[in-house]
Amino acid sequence: MIVWTTLLLIAVSLALGFAAWLLFLWAVKSDQYDDVERPKHRMLDDDPEDHDN
Amino acid sequence: MAVCAHCLLEMPEESATRETIDGKETTFCCPGCRAIHGLLRSEGLTGFYARRHGWTPGPPESARVPLDAFDGSVRTSGRQAEADLVISGIRCASCVWLIERYLGGRPGILSTRVNFATGRARISWNPSETGIGDVVFAIRALGYTPYPPESLPVGDTLRREASDLLLRFGTAAFLSMQVMLLTAGLYAGYFQGIDARYERLFRGLCFLLATPVVFYSGAPFLRGALRGARHGTFGMDALVFLGAFSAYGYSAASLFLDGEVYFDTATMILTLVLLGRYIEAGARSRAADGISRLVRLAPVMARKAVSGGGAIDIPVASLAPGDLVEIVPGERMPVDGDVIEGNSEADESMLTGESAPVSKIPGDPVVAGSLNGTGRLLVRVVRTGGETVLSHVVQAVEEAQARKAPIQRVADRVVRFFVPAVLLVAAGAVFLGFHGGSLPHAALMAGISVLVIACPCALGLATPLAVLVGTTSAQARGILVRGGDVLEQAAGVRCVLFDKTGTLTVGRPRLTDVEGIGIEREDALRLAAFLEASSEHAIGRAIADALPASRCLPVRGFRAHPGEGIEGEIDGVRYLLGRPELLERFGIAVDGAASRAYAAHSALLRTAVLLSDGSRPLAVLATEDALRPEAAEAVSLLRASGTAVMMVTGDDPGVAADVAGKVGIANLRARVTPGGKREEVRRARERFGPVLVVGDGVNDAPALAEADVGVAMGRGTGLAIHSAGATLMTEDLLRIPAFLALSRATMRVIRQNLFWAFSYNLVAIPLAVAGKLHPIAAAAFMAGSSLLVVGNSLRLRKGGK
Repeated sequence: MIVWTTLLLIAVSLALGFAAWLLFLWAVKSDQYDDVERPKHRMLDDDPEDHDN
Repeated sequence: MAVCAHCLLEMPEESATRETIDGKETTFCCPGCRAIHGLLRSEGLTGFYARRHGWTPGPPESARVPLDAFDGSVRTSGRQAEADLVISGIRCASCVWLIERYLGGRPGILSTRVNFATGRARISWNPSETGIGDVVFAIRALGYTPYPPESLPVGDTLRREASDLLLRFGTAAFLSMQVMLLTAGLYAGYFQGIDARYERLFRGLCFLLATPVVFYSGAPFLRGALRGARHGTFGMDALVFLGAFSAYGYSAASLFLDGEVYFDTATMILTLVLLGRYIEAGARSRAADGISRLVRLAPVMARKAVSGGGAIDIPVASLAPGDLVEIVPGERMPVDGDVIEGNSEADESMLTGESAPVSKIPGDPVVAGSLNGTGRLLVRVVRTGGETVLSHVVQAVEEAQARKAPIQRVADRVVRFFVPAVLLVAAGAVFLGFHGGSLPHAALMAGISVLVIACPCALGLATPLAVLVGTTSAQARGILVRGGDVLEQAAGVRCVLFDKTGTLTVGRPRLTDVEGIGIEREDALRLAAFLEASSEHAIGRAIADALPASRCLPVRGFRAHPGEGIEGEIDGVRYLLGRPELLERFGIAVDGAASRAYAAHSALLRTAVLLSDGSRPLAVLATEDALRPEAAEAVSLLRASGTAVMMVTGDDPGVAADVAGKVGIANLRARVTPGGKREEVRRARERFGPVLVVGDGVNDAPALAEADVGVAMGRGTGLAIHSAGATLMTEDLLRIPAFLALSRATMRVIRQNLFWAFSYNLVAIPLAVAGKLHPIAAAAFMAGSSLLVVGNSLRLRKGGK
């Protein structure tokens, strides 16, 4: 009983860690860490049809 | 004044191009700007004008790169093609927005990502719909200039290296967190008791998680250690890997022999050291980016003015000194030169760090890479290509990154002996443990503790980090330092030796008087100005600039006699121009009217030169030079810090004494030849100790090279900058005392760091040998000492600017 819950928890923690690691791998491979300057400005951009004139 | 709606250039009403848009009359400076404005309107991108804040993309640049140069940078895979481009002209986030929006809306473009920090863009498209040519034209149509990425070879490898380290570090970090979690369970079990099945399970999991950390994340250290072992040397890599691997190997063996496991020690060591390496690689890659940005500043094409009016576009490489080039508003200067015609202002922030524009009127020097403001300029070329101030700065920065301070070499040597010594001590600790009756695992643990605690991270970081912080904060204060060794030398300086012209004075003497002896005043001036047309000497420039730009007679057989004057041939007559000594050396008697005029000017503290046709003196020309306003304060600050101050000049004693008196220098040598200046440096060294020389000209180069530290003025001649260890980017003499103070602070921090690293080892290693230090405590202790070194070094940044 206790054995199974413990094993389950370990498996969950490993899976979460593994998922985070995969996410990290993807982030590095797709150059997400290349430019940490631009994204904070990008959020201000995507409102197309105003500010004109 | 009308203002261009696109580039915000101000211009006279009559020269504006007009167009009625939405019922409002809009003005433009040129058809190019009108076309770009129309393009943005038709694409619905006028939001750009609301977003930018007082900034402009400028009129379209004239420099063009042929299209086929881009072919090599296209990668095609199936239905997608991709290219990395370097885009010049990106100055704010709006530019990035504009390029991404505009390109993104073009047919066939799949994605556009522009990196604001590096100015690089990665663009992918469908090759059946569009091509690299369209992409390049689209970017050019917006007023930016794309370049193939080959211009950035250094930055690229460094970025790959940083990204590789990030992968290794990230992997190590995620896995060691898991290992720590399980180890925490094992520790709790150690104190409270734990089911044997769980213990086996946890240990097995730790082993599985730690294995990739040691063999994947630790691979660079293993490679470094093996490389070192082949050459019989041991560096930091060897020590780090041995520490991690011995902990890992011992724990793996314990799995079967039922000992304790220390997988967390192995993973944590690697994770922490990798983090340090990653930060360092990132800093270096950013520095390299800075260099390639500087390189890109200089345009590749220039407009050469041709006789009879008009101008032709030619590559900068084919310009020669003396050529005239035209620079339009908003363009970058292609060469170093002097303004002949026109009024404008230039942004020289990339060299001086000061963003306020500098006014440019005829006679002022301009530097390659600086940005022209609102006026058209005609510039006479003085230096091109590799000789420009910009390329000297680039070379200096590249050199600074490669050079090591002597104290760093000492640290490297120490590490070489340190590692084998540590290995011996570790082996000794294990041996002692066994014979002292300890349990086998306790004996091994003592050995591992020694390896871990002795990991010379603090030792390895102590010097380079302080030097890095020291040089960057010097740069923030407008002093370009060529390397760590310069900082170290500057810290010991006991005497500062100033050149006069161009250093204590502004260095742009004005011609105040021309006295013809037997010839017309105008003729004398014209001959002298032609002779000095390509001179770099301050007095020569004053004479050349006194004559309004006009056609120059060709000068043959030009020769400079440093410290004395020049000679050259005009219309078959050999002329001499310089101080009386030069004329006398050529057997020309300086007497009568010439001698009287010369004496009169010297009495008025002016610098006079004589013109001669080889048989008799023809004219006396007198110039005067103004003192730098901050010179006196800089001198008194230097003396207050206990540094001797001297002045050496090739000028007359009268002028020299006057200047020296005004700035408060008692110790001066006048009428010294360039070779003599070197002699003076040697003499000053014998009397006071290490000498720092501040100078700007060709004639200072020997002294700058001889000095323990040479500091060149930023606008100084190329040779002076090349001979000097440091360069003042803003011509502010107060930076000299600031530089000395910073160097002393840097050396103090280095000594503190080294002292700390050594004394820490001295205390910790015996503890580890005695088995009193658990490897985890050792790892924490080690990380703490590295942090202390980092924090101490960062103190140097305080009070910057």
